[in-house]
Amino acid sequence: MSLSYLLKRCGLTAYTLIVVSLIVFAVTQVLPGDAATMLLGENATPAALAAVRDRLGLDAPIWVQYGHWLGGVLQGDFGTSLRTGQAVGPVMVEALGRSLLLAVLAIGFMLSLALPLGILAAVRRGRAADLLVGFVSYIGVSLPEFVTATLFGLLFADWLQWLPATGYVPMTENPASSLAHLVLPVLTVSVMLIAHVSRMVRSELVDVLHTDYIRAARLKGLSARAVLLKHGLRNALLPTITIVALDVGYLLGGVIVVEEIFALPGIGRQLIVAIEARDLPAIQAGALIMAATYSVVNFAADVAYAWLDKRIQYD
Amino acid sequence: MPPVLEISNYTLDYASPRGDARALDAIDLAIGRGEALGLVGESGSGKTSLAWAIMRYLPGNAREPGGSIKLSGEELTTKTPAEIAALRGRRIGMVFQDPGTSLNPTLPLGEQLAEVLVRHRALTRRQAWAEGEAMFARVGLKQPAQMMRRYPHEASGGEKQRVVIATAFACNPECILFDEPTTALDVITARQILDLFAELQAETSVASLYISHDLALVAQVAHRVAVIHRGRIVEQRTAAGIFTNPRNDYTKRLIAAVPDPGRRLSGAAPIPSGVPLVEARAVSVHYGRTSRLATFFGRARERVVGNRAVSLSVDPGEILGIVGESGSGKSTLAKALTGLNPFTGEIRFDGRRIGGIADMDKAYRRNVQIVFQHPDASLNPRQRIAEILSRPLALYGGQDGPRDMAVARLLEQVHLPADYARRYPHELSGGEKQRVAIARAFASKPRLVICDEITSALDVSVQASVVELLLDLQRRHGTAYLFITHDINLVRQIAHRIAVMYRGDLVELLDIEQLEAGPRHRYTRALIEAVPRPVGGTTNITIGRHSPGPIPGGFDK
Repeated sequence: MSLSYLLKRCGLTAYTLIVVSLIVFAVTQVLPGDAATMLLGENATPAALAAVRDRLGLDAPIWVQYGHWLGGVLQGDFGTSLRTGQAVGPVMVEALGRSLLLAVLAIGFMLSLALPLGILAAVRRGRAADLLVGFVSYIGVSLPEFVTATLFGLLFADWLQWLPATGYVPMTENPASSLAHLVLPVLTVSVMLIAHVSRMVRSELVDVLHTDYIRAARLKGLSARAVLLKHGLRNALLPTITIVALDVGYLLGGVIVVEEIFALPGIGRQLIVAIEARDLPAIQAGALIMAATYSVVNFAADVAYAWLDKRIQYD
Repeated sequence: MPPVLEISNYTLDYASPRGDARALDAIDLAIGRGEALGLVGESGSGKTSLAWAIMRYLPGNAREPGGSIKLSGEELTTKTPAEIAALRGRRIGMVFQDPGTSLNPTLPLGEQLAEVLVRHRALTRRQAWAEGEAMFARVGLKQPAQMMRRYPHEASGGEKQRVVIATAFACNPECILFDEPTTALDVITARQILDLFAELQAETSVASLYISHDLALVAQVAHRVAVIHRGRIVEQRTAAGIFTNPRNDYTKRLIAAVPDPGRRLSGAAPIPSGVPLVEARAVSVHYGRTSRLATFFGRARERVVGNRAVSLSVDPGEILGIVGESGSGKSTLAKALTGLNPFTGEIRFDGRRIGGIADMDKAYRRNVQIVFQHPDASLNPRQRIAEILSRPLALYGGQDGPRDMAVARLLEQVHLPADYARRYPHELSGGEKQRVAIARAFASKPRLVICDEITSALDVSVQASVVELLLDLQRRHGTAYLFITHDINLVRQIAHRIAVMYRGDLVELLDIEQLEAGPRHRYTRALIEAVPRPVGGTTNITIGRHSPGPIPGGFDK
């Protein structure tokens, strides 16, 4: 991997983060009412408001406020919650940790099913196995999460009583119980991911299996297994890396419904709470942390892709 | 001793809902040790089907009603897939048309050779790698150790084809099939690959089946030539005999269609009127842009040159041929002249100055038309022929009478039936589609038509009739052509003057008489020498002759 490619990707990631921080900061600025009125309520006296504005530095020019805020963020200080009076950074990071745990488990589970299913469907294209995988995939894609979540909850928690219906237990407290609580959320979000990743793997692999170099590999006398694993899969799975990285974004911000149904205090749920309370520092921290995680994951995906497909670095 | 490859009375059908279609009909072929058999046919003749049948790589709807294919006396048609897999690459190999697509883009070149040695000769990876390096050296790859670690995108087309050839020869197979191994390559590179083929053919005692559409080429690399037409072998002779004494009617037609530079097709050059029709003055085209980041770091990268200050002119009614290998800037010039590429320098049309795309008004565009290489890509598949031909008529007008009459006249001009107007492009053959594209270009009654490789996607016999049509139109309308091609033999038949391009530069511009007398520029000479001429007897590639050494990369002035 060329150093210049890495530097270029790093630079782009940093650039993205700066733009995101600007947007996050700007959006909270255009919301009606400032932090002081939110803090003290609409009936506060002008003197009290002025005192708070002075304390929070709200009278300084916007770019000074931005610089102040960004400087704090770079030192790990995301400000103090207007709602609870606690530092928002640690709360959001903790919530991110829970969301990431869900994301990693869901992606791991999803890949362990989606890859074999996609490969099976591609290799047996047009036959019963392919049609079955396709049918199940479409059901998975078309069911909204709250439906699958409710169905899983009914089946595994209510009727069978195998798993707890809602709640979250930290890993450090009781690993077994923690995992038991995560099974239903992981299952729910995986259903949709399995569906679209297996479709993706199938169509990519079908294309690759029709290329000249696969034909050449067969005509070199390589075994069917070697042709599929060594020549086919490697090329077919490359685009999947990008898709999985995009899914991380969905798993961080887009699964609020799932977090809500299973009472999982992930970052999406924290952000909703912050928005409802108009807790500006918390909104800023949550949005920025989400965007940063997403950028870093996509950076990692770009690097992995370029490492596996050397042509990429020449773009 | 039996022949290495013996095909007797072999028939192949493809099943389809409308009944079986016969692809190969009672094929009889035999290739002995050390022999090279050329198989020549046009597209759809069944030559590739035969290759797949030999390799036992047939689609699911293939039916084999009868016949046998034997490799050193062993019947192949009855072998199990596992037996075939053990045999491919070890006892029978194949070299493909396009090395750009037949190598896996994400595996190092060395790995793609070494895996064959590991599979068939049970070498360890380390042994296979060392052996692979030796093979790379043997096929004339410079710096074989480095080449082993490179990826396909880091090697040139010729280098990649050498890798494919090295892979085919890796296990010393008894028989190798070469499926158009030089068709995707540039003229000079193709010549070097042919030399390599001849050398390896002589050194090893492999039996080769050399498949090609190019009769002239095959007659020079093979000992014997078989001509295949509609699934049947119509004639099988010695290479020397096929040109001098063809017996079959189809072979005779095929030979007649092969461009022979000694036979002029177009008339004499027009008398220069003093004012050229089109004149390019120091036209330069650059591709690509410098990335923002590179600019930011002060590393303004040099842009890719498409054309470097090209100056040439075309007289009214003249045919100017432009030749050169891919990437030489031929098509770039065509695009600049038609306003598809921004350019610097100036173009003069009929004395009028065209400084850039903005100056190309309707009058200019009406007078300068272009026909592209692939009619499939240049004709809108969702439009009927009538709509395709109506567009320029509506845009440029000038046709009196109702529109459908004008369309019918255009079709008639290119010798297509008037009822083709109702058809869609996919209902036409390749040659017919190209005729429609030509009719579209002529709809505005242009004075210059740029033909960008318009015959290279066509079969020889179709190519001949398209060229005939072009010359007929030229005589009727006095249109000038800029005829871009890589086919030197063809351009020598029709062009009045020839411009030779190399890596963006115009290296030589000469009259056809001067070319016949012997060009001055080294690159032009190399280009002409690299092309097999379809004259029986005066072959310029001899089997077993050692290659004259690599042609140096730079032909700079």
